Amino acid sequence: MANKHYAMVIDLNTCVGCNACMAACAMENQTPVWKNSWRTYVHDLEIDPGTDHQVRRRFFPRLCNHCDNPPCMSVCPTGATHKLDNGIVLVDDELCMGCRACSMACPYDARFDVSYNDVEQGKEFYGELHHRTRPGVDKCSFCAHRVMKGLKPACVETCVGSARLFGDLNDPDDKVAKLVKTGVAKPLMVHLGTRPNVYYISEIERAR
Amino acid sequence: MEGMFYSTQNVWTWWIAIYLFLGGLGAAAVVVSCLTNMYIKTHKELVLWGNISAFVMLSVGSLFLFVHLLDHLAVIHVLNPFGLLTKPDAWIMWGTQFIVWMMVFSMIYTLPYMLETPFWRDMPLVGTILGWFGWLGKLSLSFHKVVGWLAIINGVGTVLYTGLLLQSFPAVALWHNPGVPLLFIISAFSTAMAFLLLVLHLAIKREEDHDIKVLYERTDVILISIELLIIFVFFHFTTYGLESARHTADILWNDMGWIVGFIGFGLIVPFLIEFRGVTKGWNSATPVVLAAILVLCGGYLLRHYFMYAGSYERPYPAINSIHSQSNYNLLIE
Repeated sequence: MANKHYAMVIDLNTCVGCNACMAACAMENQTPVWKNSWRTYVHDLEIDPGTDHQVRRRFFPRLCNHCDNPPCMSVCPTGATHKLDNGIVLVDDELCMGCRACSMACPYDARFDVSYNDVEQGKEFYGELHHRTRPGVDKCSFCAHRVMKGLKPACVETCVGSARLFGDLNDPDDKVAKLVKTGVAKPLMVHLGTRPNVYYISEIERAR
Repeated sequence: MEGMFYSTQNVWTWWIAIYLFLGGLGAAAVVVSCLTNMYIKTHKELVLWGNISAFVMLSVGSLFLFVHLLDHLAVIHVLNPFGLLTKPDAWIMWGTQFIVWMMVFSMIYTLPYMLETPFWRDMPLVGTILGWFGWLGKLSLSFHKVVGWLAIINGVGTVLYTGLLLQSFPAVALWHNPGVPLLFIISAFSTAMAFLLLVLHLAIKREEDHDIKVLYERTDVILISIELLIIFVFFHFTTYGLESARHTADILWNDMGWIVGFIGFGLIVPFLIEFRGVTKGWNSATPVVLAAILVLCGGYLLRHYFMYAGSYERPYPAINSIHSQSNYNLLIE
């Protein structure tokens, strides 16, 4: 049986900008929200008026793209950033020295710092369940710890508009695989050669 | 996707520019002083000045990098040379090894000269430490050329690393192209020539070194010419290139620090001074010293502007800590 190849599809038509995904992710992964650092973030964008001169508003969720060719992994000097057979890119906190080469390399702005101070503040903010012990550079893990148990990532589980879909590209019956295969869902900045595994359905595609 | 956003980063800034500048300058100084001593003219003082200065530069530069790490203890993973077996694709890993081994071999190469120099032998603490390594000095002398070449190879590796480090970031057009390593290599050797000219004119001050000074000046004129040509290529690449490159062009080619400071006073003025010196000569050392100082300032400015002008292009604004605060303010307004 082929390995799983996890991917996410985000439908920009159904994201209502409630930010529940951000809250769920922050609580699940204990991110330093006190300094506006998030593993996933929903941008509230105004887009250019079309011919009808109507200003449109778009909510644009973004996260680590778990690239098949991740530049953050190739530049990581310690091997802290690594890729699992199922496509998930993870950071080993024990190995990361926080040089931030990965932050520089990531085209998607998916990385953020966790300082000594943040580790201490996390203990106060998240209480006795706080699990982070070392500073370093953090990012989305597709909630690998949940996925291993057969659960969906926290942001997918909580999404009220079902804007986020999570699945296996190697399973032809999976909805995510079908959306990707038909070309309705497209990745970001493919010209950089990163081969990302987060795909977006935009309004334009839906209109067709 | 329509509506792209452009941002620069504010995490690898002047301190990494200093690291890249001192790394390139120090490593190239080791290469030039060792090669001069081995193949052009035996020159104990030049090796002492070149290699010990390089050791200090690399130490200071590495300290800048170390201080800015988020987890200082984890640096042990990158100091382990066996890490190259598991991370051969990471240039920081190669760079760390090149720097460490260049410092080690360049100091072993210099050790016999330090041992026979009263200034170092009589220096408190340093003299005591030198006394412990007398055996290594004798051993080094027996294999002096081999040790010299080990320092040179690691020095060239260090110079190369300072350029390839930036090239390995694909998101930024200014960095992710083969021109960057070439530019940084040329600049590193140009600044090394300038530094060693300063040493020869201001510290060693020997008449019989005239031929070496002329050689360094001639080499520097050629290096600055090549650097100017590469900068022109970058002008074309950024002005007529990808959108993120054009954003970089907007930053660089509207900044007087880049145009007047780096290109004007860091390249063109020293080129003219040195060219005049090579073709017609100068009556005093002052113009050459001035040109060398300008080349060194230009070497730093080049790296400074490269760090600040690298532009990311995304379909959403940057919010994470790597990016400038202005982006964040824009988002929450």
